[in-house]
Amino acid sequence: MGRRILWGLAPLLLPYCALFCAGMALTMAQSLGLFLPVGPGEATLDHYLTLLEDQAMGQSLGLSLFVAFVSAAGSVLGGTLLALALWRMPPGLRRVGVVSKVGLILPHVAVAFLVLLMLSRTGLVSSALFQTGLISSPEEFPNLLHTGSGLGMILAFLLKGVPFALLLVGAVLFGFDIRLVQTARMLGAGPLRTFWSVTLPRLLPAMHSAFIILFLYAFGSFDIPFVLGESHPGMLSIRVFDIFFQRDLSQRPQAMAILTLMFVFAALFAMLYNRFAAYLDGWRRKL
Amino acid sequence: MKHAPTIIILALLFLLPVVVLILQAGAPGWRFPELWPELSFDGIAFLTARPRPFLTALASSLGYSLVTVALTLAMTILPAKTLAFTSFRGKNLLEGLLLLPALVPAMTFSMGLHFIFIKIGLADTTPGVILVLSMVSYPYMLRALATGYTLMGREYAVCARNLGASKWRVFLEVEMPQLLPAIAAGASVVFLVAFSEYFLVFLIGGGSIASFTGYLFPLITSSNRGLGALITLVFLAVPIVLFIVLELGLYRYHRKRRMR
Repeated sequence: MGRRILWGLAPLLLPYCALFCAGMALTMAQSLGLFLPVGPGEATLDHYLTLLEDQAMGQSLGLSLFVAFVSAAGSVLGGTLLALALWRMPPGLRRVGVVSKVGLILPHVAVAFLVLLMLSRTGLVSSALFQTGLISSPEEFPNLLHTGSGLGMILAFLLKGVPFALLLVGAVLFGFDIRLVQTARMLGAGPLRTFWSVTLPRLLPAMHSAFIILFLYAFGSFDIPFVLGESHPGMLSIRVFDIFFQRDLSQRPQAMAILTLMFVFAALFAMLYNRFAAYLDGWRRKL
Repeated sequence: MKHAPTIIILALLFLLPVVVLILQAGAPGWRFPELWPELSFDGIAFLTARPRPFLTALASSLGYSLVTVALTLAMTILPAKTLAFTSFRGKNLLEGLLLLPALVPAMTFSMGLHFIFIKIGLADTTPGVILVLSMVSYPYMLRALATGYTLMGREYAVCARNLGASKWRVFLEVEMPQLLPAIAAGASVVFLVAFSEYFLVFLIGGGSIASFTGYLFPLITSSNRGLGALITLVFLAVPIVLFIVLELGLYRYHRKRRMR
C-alpha cells in the first residue's frame, strides 16, 4: 500500500483502531479473565466452558436467532412487495411511499412503545374487541406479548425493517431501466418469467444487503428486547445486560464471553452470507 | 383503483400508528376499555409546567447527534475519496472490515470500550458519547460519500487542477457542490442513528448525559401513556423539520449557484 493511500485512509483508520479494535480487544481480554476491574488475572477459558454448560444460554441463542431471522426475512419480503407495488404506480402516485419514512424515523424505543399501546392486554386492539363484544374482559385477549414467543419483538422489528428494505430495494427498482422489462415482454416472456429472469436478479443484491443488516441488527440489539422482551429466556443482549449490571463483578467475564461469541458469529455470518450470495448468483448465471 | 390495496396497507402500517399517537397524546386518560378517547391537555400542561428536563434532554440529544454528523463527515471524507479512486491489494477486505462497526452488535465493542473510557476519563462525558456514536454510524457516511465520489468521477477535479486551481479550491468549488447530495444522504442516516440510540448513550453517558430516548424510556412502562405518546410525536417531528430545512437549504444553494 502506497504512502499516499495510507495518508488518505488515516483519518478513519486511527479512530477505527483506537475505538473499535481497542474496545473489541478489551471485551475479548475480559472474556478470558484479563484486565478486569479487580486487577490483572490469568488467562482462562473457564468462562466459555460455563456458558457451554448453561442450558438457558442455548434457549437465549435460539430465541435471538429466531426473532432475528423471522423479522429480517419478513421485512425483506414485505419491503420488496411494497416496492414492487409502488413501482407499478404512476410516478406521481408513487410519492405516497413517503409515509413509510415514519418507520425509519421513529427510534426503536418508540416503535416498541407503539406495539405496547396497540397489542398489550389493555391496549387498543383489546379495547376495540371489547367494544365490539368479542371479548368481555382484558384477560380474554390473548397474551401476545411477554410469552417467550418473541412475537411483540418481531412486530416491532418489522415496523422498522419493512421501510428499510423498501428504501434499499426501491432505490434499485425506481432507477431500473423499464426497457429491459419491455424487451423481455416483446420477446415473448410472460409476466412471471419476466419477473423471475429480469427483475428479480437485479433486486437480489439490495435484498441480500437488507437481510444481512436487519438480521444482525435484530440479533444484537438491546432497545426493543428491553421493552418488549421477557427475561426467561431473554434475548442474548438482555442476558449480557443482566450479567453485566445486576450481578457481581466476578461474573463479568461471562458477559464478555457472550459478547465475544456474538461478535465472531456476526462477522462470520456477514462474510459467509456474502460468499453464499455470490455463489448462488454465479450458479444462476450458469443456468 | 387498482392501487388502492397498496395505499391502504401503507396507511395501516405507517399512518395509523401516528393517528393513535396523536389521539393518545391528546387523551392521557385513554384506557381499557374505552375505544374513543376523551380529549384533555394534561400532557401538554405537564410539559409546560416542568419544561426543564424535557428541553435539556432534547437539546442534549440534538447537540450530540449534530456533532456526531460533523465528526463522521470529517473522519470519512478523505478515506471515501481514497477508496473510490484508488485500488490496492486487500481493498475489498479493508472495505469489509471498515463496515463491521455498523454490522456487529454495538454492545460487543462498546462494553469493552466503556472500560477503557473509565480509565482515561471519557466515561460519563459528552465527548465519550459522541465518539462511540460516531463509531457505530460512520459506515453509513462512508458508503454514501464513496458512492458520491464514484458517481462524480475524477475528471472535473483533474480538469480544474490542470487549469491551475489549488487543491483546496478544487475541493471547495468543484467537489463539494457535487458531493452535497451524498453528504445530505449520509448525514440524515447518521443523525437518525445517533438521535434514536438509547443503549449506548445510557452505557457511555452513565445517566449523567441527558438524552431524549432516556427521557422517553421510563414513560413507556409508566402509566402515563399520554405523555409517552406526546414525546414520541416530538421524536417524529424533530427529524422531519431538520430534513425539510436540509432540503430547502440544498434547493436554495443550487438555485443560487445556477444564477451566478
